Amino acid sequence: MTDTGKRKKKTAAPDIHDPSYYANRELSWIAFDERCLYEARDEENPLFERIKFLSITASNLDEFFMVRVASLKDMVNAGYKKRDIAGMTAGEQLEAVENKLHSFVEEQYSTWNDILLPRLGKEGLAFVKNDGDLSESEKDFVDRYFDEFVYPVLTPMAVDSSRPFPLIRNKTINIGALVTKKGGDGEIEFATVQVPGVINRVIELPDGGEGRRFMLLEDMILRGMPKLFLNYDIVCCGAYRVGRNADLSIDEDEAEDLLKEIEKQLKLRQWGQAIRLEVVEDIDDRLLKHIKGELEVADSEIYRIDGPLDLTFLMKLYSLPGFEGYKESRYISGQPVPALKDLDQQDIFARIREGDILMHHPYETFDPVVRFVERAAVDDSVLAIKQTLYRVSGNSPIIAALERAAERGKQVSVLVELKARFDEEHNIVWAKRLEHAGCHVIYGLVGLKTHCKITLVVRREEDQIRRYVHLGTGNYNDSTAKLYTDVGLFTCAEDYGEDATAVFNMLSGYSEPLVWNKLALAPLWLKDRVISLIRRETANAAMGLPARIIAKMNSLCHEEVIAELYEASRKGVKIDLIVRGICCLRAGIPGVSENITVRSIVGNFLEHSRIFYFENAGNPELYLSSADWMPRNLERRVEIMFPVEKEMGKEKLIHILKTELADTEKARILEPDNSYRSIRGDSASRVDSQRIFGDEAAAAAVSEDREKTRVFEPMTSPVG
Amino acid sequence: MASQVCAAIDVGSYEIAMKIYEIGSKKGIRELDHVRVGVDLGSESYATGRLSANRVSEIIRILREFDREMKTWGVTVVRACGTSALRESENVDMILERIEKSTGIKIELLSNSEQRFLDYKATALKSDLFEKIISKPSAIVDIGGGSIQISLFDDDRLVTTQNLKLGVLRIHEMLQTLGAGTLRYGALVAELVGAQLSVFSRMYLSDRRIKNVILVDDYVSPLMQNPRILTDSGFLVEGGDVPDKGHVSAAGFIHFIDHVHDESRGKNAEKLGVSYENLPLVYISGLIIKCIAKEMGAEDLWAPGVTLCDGIAWEYAEKKGALGKHHDFEKDIIASAYNISTRFRGNKKRSELIGDLAVRIFDAMKPVHGLDERERLLLRIAAILHDCGKYISMINLGETSYSIIMGSEIIGLSHRERQTVAAAVRYIYTKVPPPDSLDRVVEQFDDRMRLTLIKLTAMLRVATGLDRSHLKKFKKAVFTLEGDELYITANTIEDTTLESGLFDDRAGFFEEVFGVRPIIRRKDAK
Repeated sequence: MTDTGKRKKKTAAPDIHDPSYYANRELSWIAFDERCLYEARDEENPLFERIKFLSITASNLDEFFMVRVASLKDMVNAGYKKRDIAGMTAGEQLEAVENKLHSFVEEQYSTWNDILLPRLGKEGLAFVKNDGDLSESEKDFVDRYFDEFVYPVLTPMAVDSSRPFPLIRNKTINIGALVTKKGGDGEIEFATVQVPGVINRVIELPDGGEGRRFMLLEDMILRGMPKLFLNYDIVCCGAYRVGRNADLSIDEDEAEDLLKEIEKQLKLRQWGQAIRLEVVEDIDDRLLKHIKGELEVADSEIYRIDGPLDLTFLMKLYSLPGFEGYKESRYISGQPVPALKDLDQQDIFARIREGDILMHHPYETFDPVVRFVERAAVDDSVLAIKQTLYRVSGNSPIIAALERAAERGKQVSVLVELKARFDEEHNIVWAKRLEHAGCHVIYGLVGLKTHCKITLVVRREEDQIRRYVHLGTGNYNDSTAKLYTDVGLFTCAEDYGEDATAVFNMLSGYSEPLVWNKLALAPLWLKDRVISLIRRETANAAMGLPARIIAKMNSLCHEEVIAELYEASRKGVKIDLIVRGICCLRAGIPGVSENITVRSIVGNFLEHSRIFYFENAGNPELYLSSADWMPRNLERRVEIMFPVEKEMGKEKLIHILKTELADTEKARILEPDNSYRSIRGDSASRVDSQRIFGDEAAAAAVSEDREKTRVFEPMTSPVG
Repeated sequence: MASQVCAAIDVGSYEIAMKIYEIGSKKGIRELDHVRVGVDLGSESYATGRLSANRVSEIIRILREFDREMKTWGVTVVRACGTSALRESENVDMILERIEKSTGIKIELLSNSEQRFLDYKATALKSDLFEKIISKPSAIVDIGGGSIQISLFDDDRLVTTQNLKLGVLRIHEMLQTLGAGTLRYGALVAELVGAQLSVFSRMYLSDRRIKNVILVDDYVSPLMQNPRILTDSGFLVEGGDVPDKGHVSAAGFIHFIDHVHDESRGKNAEKLGVSYENLPLVYISGLIIKCIAKEMGAEDLWAPGVTLCDGIAWEYAEKKGALGKHHDFEKDIIASAYNISTRFRGNKKRSELIGDLAVRIFDAMKPVHGLDERERLLLRIAAILHDCGKYISMINLGETSYSIIMGSEIIGLSHRERQTVAAAVRYIYTKVPPPDSLDRVVEQFDDRMRLTLIKLTAMLRVATGLDRSHLKKFKKAVFTLEGDELYITANTIEDTTLESGLFDDRAGFFEEVFGVRPIIRRKDAK
């Protein structure tokens, strides 16, 4: 289409599918990681929180490389020509992404070297690298440490014609060296040694009165290199790290045993094509040439790093004891849910019967959800527990409860999503454990990931059989539930219970139910439901009725849904989006999206809840969901969207949305040019939504206490 | 009654389904769970007359999975029923035994009339609307895989029911044999169904118009239960109202089917949420309904959304007294017996009289005969139909009556019950054969059933013997059991010489069976 053609169309009715109205999802993702990096640079954050954010940017980036960059490369290699939502080919995207990533990495390290490291120094915390930095006693310590702990686990490997280049494992740090045999003919050989993962990478040196000093394991190994290659002279050496394509390719239709197939593929992940090579900045050119040749990486894939490779070690630093004063303490989490206080003395089922309970985590504790399953496991009246599990914590109390329930003869059905990315290994282990305990374990569905979060407890009560349902926006993971913001609902309403039964029937392979009462499920119905809800607002706006959409999610990149939002905006629907991560929608384009605002909140807790508000001509409807508005969620996953209909729950959700829309501290507004602008103003009008939620949860817990303790206690004689 | 959790399983022609219910006297009946697995038993069984070992293994696997689901609810009562696909398999006995051994689930084979009766019970019991709808001329159209059952109502009573061998799968197979494309389905189905329908219409409808069609089927009913489909998929006629769940005007329905015809297969599948392979079956069901609605001149269609599983559960609940006041099905069975009698030129008043005398004998003989209420009903039905064969021949009354009863469908009676009725009528007129020969007539009867047949026959013989003259002289007779004598006191001024004179033969048989001698006494009515 020519430019003039485009202009002509725009003056009439714009073509809302025009790629120029959409942002590329990879670039939008990088913009998200940049927002995390801003938090690392933000002077107002405590020092160790900034370190944590920098570490998060690095782990985010690792995953981005392994999955997204890898997939772009696959597309380029396969000659895939189709353009993306923003009109870019895979090649164009790859080029743009690689350019962005190089400067992003530079910014990460300038944040470390120029800002955080000096600040740590000021606080008396230093990283030592070279021999020259070490005192004599430290040298002694390092020598001993190396000899006793490090040396025994190292496996140096030389490469020559009879010994091929070894497998360099994904994401491991390695030290490469060029060596010559002592007394030999001077022929240069390549050797490499992996920095072992079994030893802490951050090693604290003994207190010498100069503050706390640390050395990284790879620096210790570099120092000990001569001990590893006794018969060789080391010409040069340097650390490097490789990132590989880690997308599993599983032909589920062909895989007879999904569990075995995934185990097999996990081994192959280590062998994926190298797509990123990080090397220390001052690496010897000959050494680099050798590594580059063996790993077959292009120049654009090489990142010269001015500092320690792999900044995720900063999370280890963050969790070291003794730095509490440098961490965030202004945010409150884990408060009791008022309706579920004193759970030890309370029957959680009785509480749910009194009315639906909506919880906002992590401000309100996730404990009730764990207790719900634990209680169900030992309650004599409970007949069955059914649950979907996507990602669970390492030592999950939920898994333990499910095992206990099965051992007590309850019917326990668990859908364990084996395909949860990077959790596959973990999931296989406890799927087997559950099976061993007698649970009925379903290993996900062919071709679909089961991402919905739902638990159903069937209980035979005096008057009738009753179903208790928990539905949530976040995983049944008690660890991440302390860090992620999510919303969960307990209910025993019959219509939700019937739908929950139907969900598990579908997951067990039975035919779909004839009708759903309340739930909308992806991939079959959810997208249509979302679109019809948006269209209803569009139609209402056209008729002059009140129309508004507020939608909070992690990512927005479904073209059809975005086009509907544009259409709604054009008809005058006011749309406020709170999208933490990727957003392919472009806000504020005249005639297309001028009624749409987008903000992203990157704060102390990871924004993870999905909340949707539709004005519905003055009778607002509120929904929660496990799904983002992304193609993968709406079309390739089993997801649930459910309404919150009780007034108290609706008010709570509206309050969450309104507070987040008012946030000035951690919110950034998406500008028409795709940049994100901070809106932090003067101190008088500053709003930090995450702090407000925490404070409110604490206040609610206290006021509940007060109400309860308004009983006069008679004084009794102390000697009585 | 403490609440009970029951599972109802339907091993059908193209699907095995299980519903789980909580049944209690306080809250009635509540559906807890519904699982379905598509498995095509019908095609194999209809085509080859057998089910292969693989298919049976599949049934066993599914039933084992069902067992897990039953544990979820703490099920204590299970009733599993098999329909035409199993019924039409020659090797059904072996199949059922294998299934029972592997799963512990005993599948009960339902005759067509039992199956339809259960569907009917579910329809009548599940919704309060039923009584209101049948107060106007109505028909239940129950579309199965192999046949369609049409039942007509008159004055709140089910009066006749007919089975047409025109099930959805059967028609689908015929169309495939013809190699017809879907575009021609409309015309071909109209032709196939139309021919049989016009016979039905001539015989049973005459000029009656049926206002309401109540629909029981597996393909169209779910669509009519889905509010989204009702508003989005062509059911809306211009100027018409948005249909309520399960309710569509006949015009709206025809509009919908024409709409389906005009859309592409892919679009229909997506819009109706129906799988690609089931779509032709939905379409054929729709076409059948369209033909029937037109033929009957129906105004409204109602799909209550019931399944055979519902029928199984509601019947159980009814037996357990878990239902409040509800439709009286016994009256339907009696009404359809009268209807058959009328069709074969029976005299309604005489049928009533014989029926009445028979149950009065039954009631008086209660301390002796050991039969139950169901058998009392069979006796009444047999009495109503006691001489229907005279329409064909007055000489071989026993044989011809037997054939008519066996050839007529009496909704609500099982195959064996119908056999009992027919044979009891037969032996009013002919000698009860010795056990060996009797076996050939009622080959699968056990001892109790055979004895029941003989007891009913004895009572029928006495009842019909009391109206030899057809003058209803014993209309007000009183039956009193005293020791081993049954006194029949005729409160009449009429001469009872004929009845008394020819009574000995009948009394003899009665005495042989019960050890009680019936004796006619005359007391002149004032």
